[in-house]
Amino acid sequence: MQNIRLIAMMFGLLAIGFTEPVWGWQRIPEIQAVLAGTEPRMAGVRLEVPAVTQDGSSVPVTVTVDAPMRADAYVEAIHLFATRNPSPELAEYTLHPLLGRASLSTRIRLDQSQAVVALARTSDGEWLGAVESVRVTVSGCLSRAGTYTSDNHMQVRVRVPDRLRTGQVGEVRTMIQHPMETGLREDASGRVIPANIIEELHVKWDDQPVLRARWHRAMAANPYLLFSIAPAQSGALSMRWTEDTGATAEYRAAIEVRP
Amino acid sequence: MFNQPISRRESIKRIAGFSAAAAAWSWPSIAIPGQGASGRVVVVGGGFGGATAAKYLKRMAPELAVTLVEPNTRYITCPFTNLYLGGIRSFESLWHSYDELRQRYDVEVIHELATDVDVDGHTVELASGTRLAWDRLILSPGIDIRWNELDGYDEAAAEKAPHAWKPGDQSRLLRQQLAGMKQGGTFVLVAPDNPFRCPPGPYERVSMVAHYLKNHNPSAKVLLLDAKDGFSKQGLFMQGWAEHYGDMIEWVSRSNDGTVIRVDADRLEVETEFGMIHAADVLNVVPPQKAGFIADRAGVTDASGWVPVRPDTFASALVDDVYVIGDATQAAPMPKSGFIASTQGKVAARAIAAELTGRVLLPEPSWANTCYSLIAPEHGISIVGVYEVYNGQLREVPDSGGVSPMGADPLFRQLEAEYARGWYAAITQDVWGTPAS
Ligand SMILES: Cc1cc2nc3c(=O)[nH]c(=O)nc-3n(C[C@H](O)[C@H](O)[C@H](O)COP(=O)(O)OP(=O)(O)OC[C@H]3O[C@@H](n4cnc5c(N)ncnc54)[C@H](O)[C@@H]3O)c2cc1C
Repeated sequence: MQNIRLIAMMFGLLAIGFTEPVWGWQRIPEIQAVLAGTEPRMAGVRLEVPAVTQDGSSVPVTVTVDAPMRADAYVEAIHLFATRNPSPELAEYTLHPLLGRASLSTRIRLDQSQAVVALARTSDGEWLGAVESVRVTVSGCLSRAGTYTSDNHMQVRVRVPDRLRTGQVGEVRTMIQHPMETGLREDASGRVIPANIIEELHVKWDDQPVLRARWHRAMAANPYLLFSIAPAQSGALSMRWTEDTGATAEYRAAIEVRP
Repeated sequence: MFNQPISRRESIKRIAGFSAAAAAWSWPSIAIPGQGASGRVVVVGGGFGGATAAKYLKRMAPELAVTLVEPNTRYITCPFTNLYLGGIRSFESLWHSYDELRQRYDVEVIHELATDVDVDGHTVELASGTRLAWDRLILSPGIDIRWNELDGYDEAAAEKAPHAWKPGDQSRLLRQQLAGMKQGGTFVLVAPDNPFRCPPGPYERVSMVAHYLKNHNPSAKVLLLDAKDGFSKQGLFMQGWAEHYGDMIEWVSRSNDGTVIRVDADRLEVETEFGMIHAADVLNVVPPQKAGFIADRAGVTDASGWVPVRPDTFASALVDDVYVIGDATQAAPMPKSGFIASTQGKVAARAIAAELTGRVLLPEPSWANTCYSLIAPEHGISIVGVYEVYNGQLREVPDSGGVSPMGADPLFRQLEAEYARGWYAAITQDVWGTPAS
């Protein structure tokens, strides 16, 4: 009976979850370019995405790499891809051990049901990876107005802990108001709305760059990023977002670190 | 699942031509010789899904023994609780009984909670320890709240900051709080991220709350803190709010820091993800949800907390002989609505009746849903969806359905409000046999 259920379960998963191929992503040129011939080990990366989402315009993604963040051994980079979007690249993050934890949460756009790929490179050059498939359904009951008001364009919201104990890992939440225009959308009169995105978020701890996020057009509107910081002594966290026009927005916050 | 004869399925297709437009629910059937006779079906949950399934099983196959397990002796609908909150509908008008199922359809109704399911032994265990045997099991347990997923929101907190999102007494509590709110006070509604029961529900709720306040507490405010950037029928709601309630209702989207991450029910305060504290005089929290716990006990839920099903029959994708319908399922793009739960009940009943009796039953149900919402007593809006199974998955039929037009005249809105009341009368009559009042 146990066996039959197991088979039934696999059958069920095949019928329901994996009608979208999660195979073959290694052949996507953008992914090949990043891997440069190396074979990732499909382990050590936890990729959390909803199995089914009713709203492909803002799909929550959390990537956690199960690896230390020490000066001598850490996760150096995390890349995210959506295998069936018009352009597969989503984001690249460069990380510093001061983050304390290699875990990032963000929101992406998925054009259709497809697999999401997370790849992480450790400081000794190894690639780790994870793949998860997401089914995107469009629910009429959830249809939205689709308008975007820009009166607070590039306004930022940040939440940083005021104080931390030495060795404690703090959580930093960031969001910037931005339509992240893909360049694929038309306005009411049928003219293509030009691409306009936030390309980069650069985070420093005092003078030390600790996180650099490079974003592509399939990141969800109002780019959101949750990351961590584990400073050894008091200092300041500063952030700068850069739009593709060169416009920037900045934010700075002090964190007191006590033993 | 493996004993589902594919060839029979094929023959249904050919005979019925999968006609969605088929006539009303009468049940012509074609006998297939040599197939067995009766069987036992247990249905857990007497809400929109379960009560419908029990009734239609008996209509389609009177020889089946059908038992409905439901702890409550009367069912209180969630649909129209918002109208009750708004003071335009009595609480009693939301009550429905199981008498028709018992008396007219010969369904055995047991008022108990089902506590466990043994899928190998084909039994269900009730709170009293009784075990019921089944050949097929239907689960329609609706939702359970994910307590503490929203920091600070547990069962005790819900006594102070009600959710009123499950059938029952929570809506009475919320109604009392609303009526007792101080003049000029603030009603705060916390809306969750998808998926959740009744996508337009929170927005109809604030509409009806504002309707009540406009008449009884006109300087009050309604603050809607949302974990989403958009919602069902958004344009129509916002237009209606401005028209009827001026700036009484304020909607704060996720990107404007609407996502609530902590609830303090003692102080009636909530905290958003970027650290704003909002104080409420009445706090209504629509919390994150999952399938009713009995689905977990039966092993039919997946990591999402919801139940994957086979779209053509609503049989569990994971466990043989168990069918799951209603809000507990992962049936997107179908919304979690009473209307669709009832349709799913008919689909599952039909599949089970066909399997157990060997008869082929016609017609296919039509997979449509209409969600009406009232913005004011005489201002109704609606959204219609039509669904089909395509490549083994549910999808919305392309270019079908739609929402009420923007900027329609008052007569149009009034008619839709009338249709909403008609819908409620019709579906509760269909499911529980409640006479239209
Ligand atoms: C405010 C609000 C407004 C709504 N308005 C509408 C609307 O206008 N139109 C619409 O179509 N839908 C509406 N809905 C949605 C609708 O209420 C649900 O979609 C519908 O109730 C789902 O039916 P169900 O059978 O899945 O669950 P339910 O109707 O919740 O029924 C579940 C039943 O199972 C019972 N149960 C649970 N666990 C067990 C167990 N272990 N043993 C025995 N019994 C059990 C419960 O007591 C309950 O009676 C609204 C919802 C809300 C909250």
